[in-house]
Amino acid sequence: MPDIDGAKTIPMLLVGAWLLPLGSFGVLLFFSPWLDRRGRAAGWLAVGAVAGAFLLCTIALGFWLSQPPADGFGWSQHSVSFADPEAAGHSIPADSRHSQPPAPRHSHALRVSEQPSGPSDAGTFHEANRRPAPMVGRLFTWAKFGQYEISISYYIDTLTVLMCTMVSLVALCIHIYSVGYMAEELHEVVDPLVLDAQGKPLRRPGRFGRFFQYLSLFTFSMLGLVLAGHLVMIFIFWELVGLCSYFLIGFYRERPSAQQAAMKAFVVNRVGDMGFLVGLMALGGLVGTWSLGDLPDPAGEPTGGLFSQLQTLLAGQPGPSSGGLPSSDGGFSRTLWILAGLGIFCGCVGKSAQFPLHVWLPDAMEGPTPVSALIHAATMVAAGVYLVGRFYPAFPPEVLWVIAGVGCITLVIGATIALVVTDMKRVLAYSTISQLGYMMLGLGVGGWAAGLFHLLTHAFFKALLFLCSGSVIHAVGTNEMPQMGGLRRKMPWTAWTMLVGCLAIAGAGVPGLVGLSGFYSKEAILAQAYLFWNTAPAVGGWLFGSALVGAGLTAFYMFRLWYMTFAGPPNDEHIYHHAHESPPVMVAPLVVLAGLAVAAGWSVPGTARSLQQLLDQDRPTLLAAESSSSSKLVDQAPVDRISPEESGRAVSAGSAFWPVPIPEEHLSHDPAVAGPVGWMAFAAALVGFLLATVMYGLRKLEPARFVQAVPAVYTFLKNKWYFDQLYEMVFVRPALWLAERTVDADRHLLDRAADGMAVGLIRLAHLEDWLDRRWVDGLVNRSAEAAYRLGLELRRVQTGQLRQYVLWAVLGAVAIFVLLSLGS
Amino acid sequence: MSGSILPTILFFLFASLACAGAVGVLLLQRIVYMAGALLVSLAGVAGLFFIAGADFVGLVQLMVYVGGTVVLLAFGVMLTARRSQPGWQVPAGQWAAGLAVGAVLLAVLLWSVLAVPPWRSVWPTVSAEGAPSGGVATVTTGSAYQQEAQPGTIGPLGWALLGVRTDRAIQQDSSQAPLDSSQAQANFSQAPPNRFQARPDSAQTVLDPSQEDARQTGRSGYLLPFEIISVHLVLVLIGAAFLARARIPFPSSPLPAVGEAGLTNGQAG
Amino acid sequence: MLHPVTLAHYLVVGAVLFSCGVLCMVLKRNALGVLMGVELALNGANINWVALSSPALRADPAWSLGLDGQLMALFVIVLAAGEAAVALAIALNYYRLYLSVDVDQASQLKG
Repeated sequence: MPDIDGAKTIPMLLVGAWLLPLGSFGVLLFFSPWLDRRGRAAGWLAVGAVAGAFLLCTIALGFWLSQPPADGFGWSQHSVSFADPEAAGHSIPADSRHSQPPAPRHSHALRVSEQPSGPSDAGTFHEANRRPAPMVGRLFTWAKFGQYEISISYYIDTLTVLMCTMVSLVALCIHIYSVGYMAEELHEVVDPLVLDAQGKPLRRPGRFGRFFQYLSLFTFSMLGLVLAGHLVMIFIFWELVGLCSYFLIGFYRERPSAQQAAMKAFVVNRVGDMGFLVGLMALGGLVGTWSLGDLPDPAGEPTGGLFSQLQTLLAGQPGPSSGGLPSSDGGFSRTLWILAGLGIFCGCVGKSAQFPLHVWLPDAMEGPTPVSALIHAATMVAAGVYLVGRFYPAFPPEVLWVIAGVGCITLVIGATIALVVTDMKRVLAYSTISQLGYMMLGLGVGGWAAGLFHLLTHAFFKALLFLCSGSVIHAVGTNEMPQMGGLRRKMPWTAWTMLVGCLAIAGAGVPGLVGLSGFYSKEAILAQAYLFWNTAPAVGGWLFGSALVGAGLTAFYMFRLWYMTFAGPPNDEHIYHHAHESPPVMVAPLVVLAGLAVAAGWSVPGTARSLQQLLDQDRPTLLAAESSSSSKLVDQAPVDRISPEESGRAVSAGSAFWPVPIPEEHLSHDPAVAGPVGWMAFAAALVGFLLATVMYGLRKLEPARFVQAVPAVYTFLKNKWYFDQLYEMVFVRPALWLAERTVDADRHLLDRAADGMAVGLIRLAHLEDWLDRRWVDGLVNRSAEAAYRLGLELRRVQTGQLRQYVLWAVLGAVAIFVLLSLGS
Repeated sequence: MSGSILPTILFFLFASLACAGAVGVLLLQRIVYMAGALLVSLAGVAGLFFIAGADFVGLVQLMVYVGGTVVLLAFGVMLTARRSQPGWQVPAGQWAAGLAVGAVLLAVLLWSVLAVPPWRSVWPTVSAEGAPSGGVATVTTGSAYQQEAQPGTIGPLGWALLGVRTDRAIQQDSSQAPLDSSQAQANFSQAPPNRFQARPDSAQTVLDPSQEDARQTGRSGYLLPFEIISVHLVLVLIGAAFLARARIPFPSSPLPAVGEAGLTNGQAG
Repeated sequence: MLHPVTLAHYLVVGAVLFSCGVLCMVLKRNALGVLMGVELALNGANINWVALSSPALRADPAWSLGLDGQLMALFVIVLAAGEAAVALAIALNYYRLYLSVDVDQASQLKG
């Protein structure tokens, strides 16, 4: 495709892919009742739109991969080869992340190119750093306030393209699956969980079209969020995603539990979004722009985007070791920077269900299962991780540590609760929380590519798992795993694809040889955490240990789920009897997703190209690290020879407050790190798998004995670490109490005051009425009466007697004369 | 001084005629007598006009008033006179009040007439400092009003109507040279600085040309007012004829029979 | 005693005529009598005009009104004639309606 200018085509394709679901949403918004009378037309319409989007995204990905490699390392090279302003007027190549001095990167590239190449060899990812510059452009300017501009613009780099493709692909599978799954909504629905006034199950019209309408809007919002090149636009789509999740979680809006779950999700997200807004404002105030990339101003000159501005600000700063106190001269304030980072991460915490805002995600299972799949895999929770990845270079190290810590806590909480939950979807929900914790941990310890790679692979296998569970629930009509069992004989496709999903999420694979997608991504995160342990032994050990234990727990609870559902004898003959395999329209996406779950981590045969490599190429460096001059030391020294003290001193990317370095990610591909970590992960997963097999597959060990052994732990986990109770006590109760007091105050103070005021006004009005009648009217009436009387009196003068008039005239003349002569 | 006595006698004669007629009109009760008294009074007034030198005005007075208006009144009297008109007597109280008011009015008028010094005498009033030349001048100017040689006013009035002020023209001719007092009396248009203030010696007066110009431009002919008056009179006469013409009274008239009687009466007149 | 006739003499005559005219208006119930009073009053005024216009009555002829006064007198005479005509017409109409020319009866304008 040499004739096609990728810089023009790729944004066009992606914007088209973005707008297609919007079109579907628009059509369904107005015509869904009409379409509902015509079978599954609404569903297929939405599927068509998303399929079109996926097609466009795939083409865009192809273009992106076929871009001529930017073989230089300075951004000036990129501008010539890739995004010349004259050639593509909307694409400005001024990405600040490339303005790094080329020398260290060059030496690093030389070094890694000596690594032997192989499909699972981490070193091969660095055979050439050919990171293309992001494409930025403005679709239209919305508003301008001085230096601040609000525009609908896009920012396309490898992450964007991959996310678009992943989102549209997963959404496509879920759309197709929903056409089958939501078929009951085509007709009148009897909801046994809701009783109407007569105590009978509620009957309501089906909402097939409405469902796909929300689904399309959801896809549109997520694609817009991924494409967005402006913070305000990001926020808009961020909120749209939240809104759609609200709609879909509460899709069965007649059920009180669904209403509460939707509200919970929305409210909890509001908490995070509040922080996000604060972060946005802080960031805007800090760097003076909200645009991610360097958009051209009306004159065509590139204006500094967020990243380049931030880099300029950092470059003008003295090193962090000399003290990053907030500057008093109105310049760069490190405190504000940290605040901005924390705020943005706060939004991600809400969206991605991180501790302490993770409580909404399990409740979100109230929505239809495809919605859960969409939320957990492609859209809602992915948004938070995506955003952290997007802002990764702009985060100060302190925030990265917070991210890592939060991720680690989330990981443990999710994994432990998943051990004891019996609701099938909730197990998956907690596993999602746990995996999101993995991603955050990976991002926090510097593994940008690892975290996002895990996001992509997790999207595939988590969508697969949810769709499988949906298939099971669809077949048996219950979520409770103890009522299932032995279903693999009834629904083999679902069983085996789900087994693939379980293996993938558990990270099955042989280190150094081959593995499922989850194996690669999880191993990358673990390796990065290990590296971090190396540089920061105090906390890194905890982080790495938790991640490792979490890997084992993941394997355990996933296989516990699989065994309880599909293996062994049926626990409920009645349910088992009615179970059946799902229709092909639901099975087909399962197979596709299973294939992806297996192969997403592989590289293209014969080459070193893989998802991870793509991400690795586009891996941004921390601006904070860039601004420090000594990071090249770690680059060049073998990792196992760096003592913690040395690296702590060397990589002074940290702040003066807490000088713990963030390790460079490419070091984690070093066999010295990747080898042992891979084996450790393998062992942990194996232990988990074996334990699950023994307990639930072979039923040699009774779970109840464990429960009896440590009942306190079991109760603690069963109650989800008492988070809901805690929040109930700390937030909900006081809020309700405050509300009641407010109501009291309203009734007894405000109402009374208002009543009193009204009474007073009435009295005043009576007084004024009296005044008005007595005095104002009286005065007017009196004067009128006086005038009337005067007229009556004067009337007598007018006798009509001509002669009298003459007499009076004469008298008047005489009088005037007399008066005049008297006066003179 | 006999030459100066005759006009004085004539004046008192006509004045007494006029006043007597007026008082007669006031005091007589019969309307026909009143008309006669009015005739006498108006004729006396005409005579006064002649004596004052306004011969044309006197002629018009005779022709219009004595010959026209009074005849008109006489016709009116005849048309409206009825044999018995009871209750027409004005009450004595009204008489008293009217006479009182009339007396006051007369007193006021007389007082004002006599209070203005130049009106009381032919001669300029001697100022408080005394009038050295006033006494002599009185004698000479005392005969001025009886100049028989004074030309009639008919011609000048006609010219004045056309805009030619002969009286003003004379003054322009004579203003060139200093005048003695005898010349000054013939030239009756010399302008004093103040009309109501005595001027000791007119010979000393130097005319102010600019003042003269202002007068001349300010006092032009009376043709336009005269024409307006003429048109006005025509309208008035037409209106009078319209009002006085016979017409059939409205059926809703409060006194239809009487109205008809009046109508016939009017037609008979 | 025979002083020459002065302006004041004329004015006195005019005042007498005027006063008589006004008294006529006040004291006559006959409309024609009232009309005569009006004529008398007008004549009194006319005497004043003519007297003030006469050069012979003034020590300084320049103080007289001259022809202006006489012309005004003429206008007054003419207007009085018109007025008399109209007044007579009104009186006749009134007489036709009420068979009387009593002004005391004509009190429709009584307030």
